[in-house]
Amino acid sequence: MNMFKSIRQVIKEQIMHINLIYRMAAFENRGMYQIHYLGSLWQFLNPAIQVAIYWFVFGTIRGGAPVDGTPFFLWLIIGLIPWFFISPSIIQGSNSIYQKIGLVSKMNFPVSLLPTIRIVGNSFQFFIMLGILVIIDLFYGIKPSIYNIQFLYYLICLYAFLFSFSILSSTVSTLVRDYQVALQSLMRMLLYVSPILWNTSLITETFTTYGPLIENILKLNPLFYILEGFRDSILGRAWFFEDLLYTGYFWALTFALLYFGTKIHMRFRKNFMDYM
Amino acid sequence: MKTKVKFKSVYKTFELHAKKSEKILNLFSMSKKKGKEFLALKDISFEIFEGETVGLVGLNGSGKSTVSNILAGVIQPSTGHVEINGETSLIAISAGLNGSLTGIENIELKCMMHGLTKEKIKEITPTIVEFADIGNYINQPVKDYSSGMKSRLGFAISVHTDPDILIIDEALSVGDSTFTQKCLNKMDEFKEQGKTIVFISHSAGQMKEFCDRVIWLHYGTVKETGSSTEVVENYQNFTKWFNKLSDADKRAHKQEMISTQVSEQVEKESKRNHRPIFNINFLKNIVVLTPVIVLGVLMLTSY
Repeated sequence: MNMFKSIRQVIKEQIMHINLIYRMAAFENRGMYQIHYLGSLWQFLNPAIQVAIYWFVFGTIRGGAPVDGTPFFLWLIIGLIPWFFISPSIIQGSNSIYQKIGLVSKMNFPVSLLPTIRIVGNSFQFFIMLGILVIIDLFYGIKPSIYNIQFLYYLICLYAFLFSFSILSSTVSTLVRDYQVALQSLMRMLLYVSPILWNTSLITETFTTYGPLIENILKLNPLFYILEGFRDSILGRAWFFEDLLYTGYFWALTFALLYFGTKIHMRFRKNFMDYM
Repeated sequence: MKTKVKFKSVYKTFELHAKKSEKILNLFSMSKKKGKEFLALKDISFEIFEGETVGLVGLNGSGKSTVSNILAGVIQPSTGHVEINGETSLIAISAGLNGSLTGIENIELKCMMHGLTKEKIKEITPTIVEFADIGNYINQPVKDYSSGMKSRLGFAISVHTDPDILIIDEALSVGDSTFTQKCLNKMDEFKEQGKTIVFISHSAGQMKEFCDRVIWLHYGTVKETGSSTEVVENYQNFTKWFNKLSDADKRAHKQEMISTQVSEQVEKESKRNHRPIFNINFLKNIVVLTPVIVLGVLMLTSY
């Protein structure tokens, strides 16, 4: 259908250049840590320091109590590890076109690959951290269950969302530079209104009348769906099709982001240099 | 002869905005006022045939780089028609190398981005290293390079990616004479292979020696096209005449020429005739947005 021409075009470019995306991502990662003495060790030192501080602060606030029977540390890192991937992917992905357009415009290179390269680049570290997460799970005695399969579904959700969001975001960020600054503030805020550091069902306990409404507003954030989904699959709490309304909302939103993102990307891609 | 490049009454305008916000309003065509415009190119038409070497001369700001950027696809013309049959490769002084990577890594990265396969890159890397001829520095990060070394490496990479139409934008003016000679030899090689070259330089000697034809750009218009010796001589005569003028005359002349390039366009051309398309688009947007809003509202009320 004509309506989805831009979506098809952008996705086709990704598939056609999948090798190039992977190679460029690996390359950029190599360049990024070359100037540091500790090299790529920082990719793990950094998150470790952050986990430690959040565990200390938020664990203390909770008085060390578990969350719905799950030890707090375990509950925390299931949310934090994806966050360490999501946050830089969104910020770097959004900045990618602005950053690279000067270099790329002189070549016959599809601009739509730039945000994807940043997502893939951050994935290398993410997958290693997921491996560490599995080890920690086993250490805590979490038994493998049929719910674990669902993890794959939420990974697909995560990548679909990141791709759709960053294609829109990177285009807007190139045209309006203020957006990038605003996005950075927003991401800092999102860390606190997503179910990462604290259990949002506390709201319903604190505010009995408006609590459920406030929690539902927080749920409109698509990252909420993904992060809680990861916990559901690892801790074996629920299936994604048990909440069809939420699943439907997430995919409708992701599709809308993809639709508008590819549309304005194709509309402006030839003129990016004029807006620099 | 096959036409490689065809410009047909090409205009390029740059909008001069007092405020950044005007640019945004213009982007979404919400503002009717268009403000001042600078015409970098005014009604440019020319053709370049296969295997030709064409030079572009002109003063600073005459539009040479704008033409080369349009040729390379970096920017689009505002109006007019541009036809390019083949792959273009722009070689400019700002070669776009990644400072934190070494020379060798930059070679790999740039070749990769040009769409070369892994095997092909392995094959041509030694040739590029040899052509750039910067010794052991090839394994150092590019940020430690001198400007001459950077342009040598940039030039070496660009010429080895097998372009069809080569655009050389003053890239030769930074290297020393030995490297310039090397580049000129390489360009001779390209000429023999029947490749099309667009050459931008301020060196009259190189122009005469090298180009089959020269286009003289003057404040955004084509002043003269013809055989290289003829046009270059006329251009040199012009610069001689200009240099002899008194400072006040020079300024007056420049002012007069530039004022022809700035236009005060108050009313933007009406977009009303696009209205029906806009409506279909609007409908599509609604179709995509409705499920998000409906499901979102349902979620909010489901407690």
